[in-house]
Amino acid sequence: MIKINTYLIEFAINSILREKSKNLFIFIVLTLLIFILSSIFFITASIQKELDISANSLPNIIVQKTSAGRVSQIDINRVDKILEINGVQNAVSRVWGYYYFENAGINFSVVGIDQFETQYKNTLESITKKHDFSELEDFMIVGSGVKRVLEENYYKDYFNFIKPDGQFKKLKIKAVFENSTNLESNDVILVSKEMAYEIFGLDENKATDIVVNVSNPKEVATIAYKIKLMYPDTRVITNEDIKISYANIFNYKSGMFLSLFIISLFTFFMIIYDKSSSLSSSAKREIGILKALGWRTDDILKEKFYESFIISFISYITGIALSLIFVYILQAPFLRDIFMGYSILKPQFSLLFAYDLKIFALLFFLSVPIYISATIFPSWRASIIDVDEVIR
Amino acid sequence: MIIFKDIIKQYKTNTQTITALNNINLNIKKGQLVILKGASGSGKSTILSLMASLCKPTSGEIIIKDTKISKLSDNFSSTFRQENIGFIFQKYNLLPNITVKDNIILPLIPTNPNEEFLNKRLNIVMKLFNIEHKSNIIVRNLSGGEQQRVAIARSMINDPDIILADEPTANLDEKLSLSFIQTIKELKELKKTIIIATHDPLFFDLDFVSKTIDIKNGVIIE
Repeated sequence: MIKINTYLIEFAINSILREKSKNLFIFIVLTLLIFILSSIFFITASIQKELDISANSLPNIIVQKTSAGRVSQIDINRVDKILEINGVQNAVSRVWGYYYFENAGINFSVVGIDQFETQYKNTLESITKKHDFSELEDFMIVGSGVKRVLEENYYKDYFNFIKPDGQFKKLKIKAVFENSTNLESNDVILVSKEMAYEIFGLDENKATDIVVNVSNPKEVATIAYKIKLMYPDTRVITNEDIKISYANIFNYKSGMFLSLFIISLFTFFMIIYDKSSSLSSSAKREIGILKALGWRTDDILKEKFYESFIISFISYITGIALSLIFVYILQAPFLRDIFMGYSILKPQFSLLFAYDLKIFALLFFLSVPIYISATIFPSWRASIIDVDEVIR
Repeated sequence: MIIFKDIIKQYKTNTQTITALNNINLNIKKGQLVILKGASGSGKSTILSLMASLCKPTSGEIIIKDTKISKLSDNFSSTFRQENIGFIFQKYNLLPNITVKDNIILPLIPTNPNEEFLNKRLNIVMKLFNIEHKSNIIVRNLSGGEQQRVAIARSMINDPDIILADEPTANLDEKLSLSFIQTIKELKELKKTIIIATHDPLFFDLDFVSKTIDIKNGVIIE
């Protein structure tokens, strides 16, 4: 059985403490680099998870009418025709749109709900069970982000929409809803479908789009194709298309993170290069003395291994722990904004805990073994020089 | 016990080759106290370095305790030193930022000794050289004489058969030098083989010295 030489480990720890300031500096730099890299990985993993959940909650197909290349209102009679296609589980016309709130400079997503229609999302289904949108009372249910922005602008209990004809429409805030992902619900205002028609000034036989759910997910592409054949003036978007478009936006923003990532790695390797290409004269002398006292080259390398492992592993653990706190507890202030974009509503968005063991492994192999090699290599070079030459 | 056969040691610089030792032949028996006498740069320290296998001869053969140390690989040289040699360096070569105790045990660390054995050896050498009360003091805070005693204690921790001392009194006043000589006498009584390189006259007339070897320009003067 291999007996661990505790005296060697103790010597390594003393060695670290002997050069407190130098090692503290290395510890801080390494920790900071691991912290930045792991924060980037955690944020991207978390946002990817959030986007996946959002994309999975989308309807299978969205049908939009296009006119002169622009999206226009679609005739609601088309719903019945679409329902006749084999394999279509349900089809619902949607009335929704963006309402620009000038005071805060942001857009709310106003969604019309028909109490008696099949809801195309589970979240809407559960809301219609709690709140009856067929009531005569004018009310709305808002996402938490909307609620916050309205309160900041002194709309505590109601909000006045300005209709296209210039008239005000006053709606009471009845409730605030949360969703499994805040990306989905944060900026949303739910109103009755009639109210949505009124706010946007739409024709009663028109809708914003039609959402279609399909019984067999494998048939989505086929049914989308059939709808396109049936209505050549439409744009038929499947949830796969939306996922791809999310991924594109995400990848674009990941590019900015990638730059940060490359800068961090570059700094790390500069430090590593500097460390591996030189050894101070006092460090060389110490190695010479130890060899003169009977230490073998492998004893010296073992001691240097312990020394560098202790520093780099503690930095690794600290960097990871700090980034977990930064990303998941503090919600990544500053860095998150790069992903979340312009909206004042977005700060309410919370990063979901997502981890991938590959991330931990990648960060480990990018830091600990590289640092250890950079320490051991110059020590090895110093330990193979004639001892007499070093200590005289 | 220590045999040098036709030893030549040369150092190469960018422009020239310097011969530090030229055709040195030595035969030192177990338990002898030998003084290597000569001016600075005469080659005394090089002889000690070769005996400790800190460097290799350019040609010739060194045999110590029946081992041809001039042929040993780097790692075996280290092991040989660790098991057989106690070296007292001219500038002590202590690690200045660690304690007296930690400096003294340095030669034993690679052997991963058991605690009982280590403490026993530590107590013996610290008592022998009267530094028990300094065991937890950082070495750089000690006086020159105290540092030298730490260096001697360190050279004795592995209980070596051969003790090599390079200009051991160069940094000491006369009182401390005489104290060192007394220590050497005690070590000789313990049947240690001791080789001291020095040009300090205090060593030349000692009655317990077995042999004095004069060296000049890398050659032994008969």
